Amino acid sequence: MTLLRVEDLKKVYADGTAALNGIDLTVEAGEFIVVIGPSGAGKSTLLRCLNRMVQPTSGKVLFQGTDTTGVSKRKLREIRRSMGMIFQGFNLVERLSVLANVLHGRLGYMSAWRGALGLFAKPDVEEATRLLQRVGLGEQLHKRADELSGGQQQRVGIARALAQKPQLILADEPIASLDPASSEIVMNSLYTFCKEDGIACLCNLHQVDVAKKYATRIIGIYKGTKVFDGTPEQLTDEMIDYIYNQHNDKASDQSEADGRLARALKKETA
Amino acid sequence: MMKAEQLLRERRGKRNQLIVFLAFLAALTVWSAIGTNFTPGALWGGIGDGAGFLFVDLMPPDTAELPGLIGPALDTIYMSFVAMVIGALVASVLSIFAAATTSPHPVFQVGMRAFSAMLRNVPVIIWTILLVASFGLGKLVGTLSLIIVSIGMLVRCFAESLEEIDLGQVEALRSVGASYWQVITQAVLPQFLPSLIGWALFNLEVNVRASTIVGMVGGGGLGFTIQSGLKLFQYKEVSMAVLLVLAIVLATEFLTNRIRERII
Repeated sequence: MTLLRVEDLKKVYADGTAALNGIDLTVEAGEFIVVIGPSGAGKSTLLRCLNRMVQPTSGKVLFQGTDTTGVSKRKLREIRRSMGMIFQGFNLVERLSVLANVLHGRLGYMSAWRGALGLFAKPDVEEATRLLQRVGLGEQLHKRADELSGGQQQRVGIARALAQKPQLILADEPIASLDPASSEIVMNSLYTFCKEDGIACLCNLHQVDVAKKYATRIIGIYKGTKVFDGTPEQLTDEMIDYIYNQHNDKASDQSEADGRLARALKKETA
Repeated sequence: MMKAEQLLRERRGKRNQLIVFLAFLAALTVWSAIGTNFTPGALWGGIGDGAGFLFVDLMPPDTAELPGLIGPALDTIYMSFVAMVIGALVASVLSIFAAATTSPHPVFQVGMRAFSAMLRNVPVIIWTILLVASFGLGKLVGTLSLIIVSIGMLVRCFAESLEEIDLGQVEALRSVGASYWQVITQAVLPQFLPSLIGWALFNLEVNVRASTIVGMVGGGGLGFTIQSGLKLFQYKEVSMAVLLVLAIVLATEFLTNRIRERII
């Protein structure tokens, strides 16, 4: 069953930067798709257009048959709660407890005032506690979120997303600010829970080896255009080279790619 | 060689600029002194009179007046405290509209900033004089004018703090489908609370100081006592009241510093 269909999605930011130049893709239920591409390729913008954290300039995003690009505020809340999001910087509310952060995943289901006052229902609290045990943080329930290590914080982020009972998880560089050991744990948890709960996942990464290890399908993006869409086996070394170094054989590593983007942005604003 | 010459010319240019600037400064000083009839001699003569007033008329403070001053002193504290609490409550709501990060629409932001600037930039003494005209003398007027300037100051300070919050946390809550007010209370407020308390305590200090001025134009409290004492030539009582103001200001500063250390 097609969970998400993206048609000719374009995003031009206010400063004139074209982040997405017409992306088409589909996500079937239960898929684990990894999106790769150099920094500044538009991976983050793509994910944020799907739950409308960024308003797309044109194109369609059909989530379970509904075009999300023009829906009302109320409907948007419903769509957002069915899509969990995981961030590079974890984005936990640092001064609140670990448990409260997981409970935030339920806000989309609560009445505005109950949620605003933090009056979470008992079943929600029990479910959040179970989820924290599931990600291996059952002991840290009442700690302040910023007392945890990076890897632990990201697992709280995963628990928060799972608390939403989502059909889809959008993970934006979930391991980019973690050490290799924590990265492994986080990717394993994310992959396992998505599989166990039948949640589809769109995950931005720039580690190609990690992408190949987990992905059921890989999408390659370069300068806002989809340049690859296939299985990990189809992603050959030539293809990786093509995605990362296309149109510019000098820039071979991340920092040069970043520099290129910075120069491009400078030209844009000048 | 060219370079050295160029450097020399540049340095001379800068020196000439400095000389012109200093000359301008000196001229401005002389002009202002003439305009205000200021002479060093006048200053000297003033010191004599001032010292006489300070050490003969005002000294020693009349401790017998102390019991009578307790009431006004408490009034000063109440006024400052109430103004801080109400000011902080009102300002915390208004500042949400004034900060770029939390404002529902830029129009609110501009409007709220202008409104708070008006409350803040009209001096507290003017607010008191205006309010005395409509409500008469007393503590109520003092408190009201302190509330007005507290709101003005705190909206500005709160908004600045709100603009420094981590937007990642806000983004996370928006992404789970939280509504506007859910985001405000669950993601913004926890980050904002320490600076809210910090600014409110600073506001309390400012209010204690300002309440004296407010009292002098009819707003009640110790300021009012000082003003009436001066008019009746009860200088010993005045000096006792001034000492009390000093004690309250120092005590507030000490207390608020302690509380602030606890929070941070």
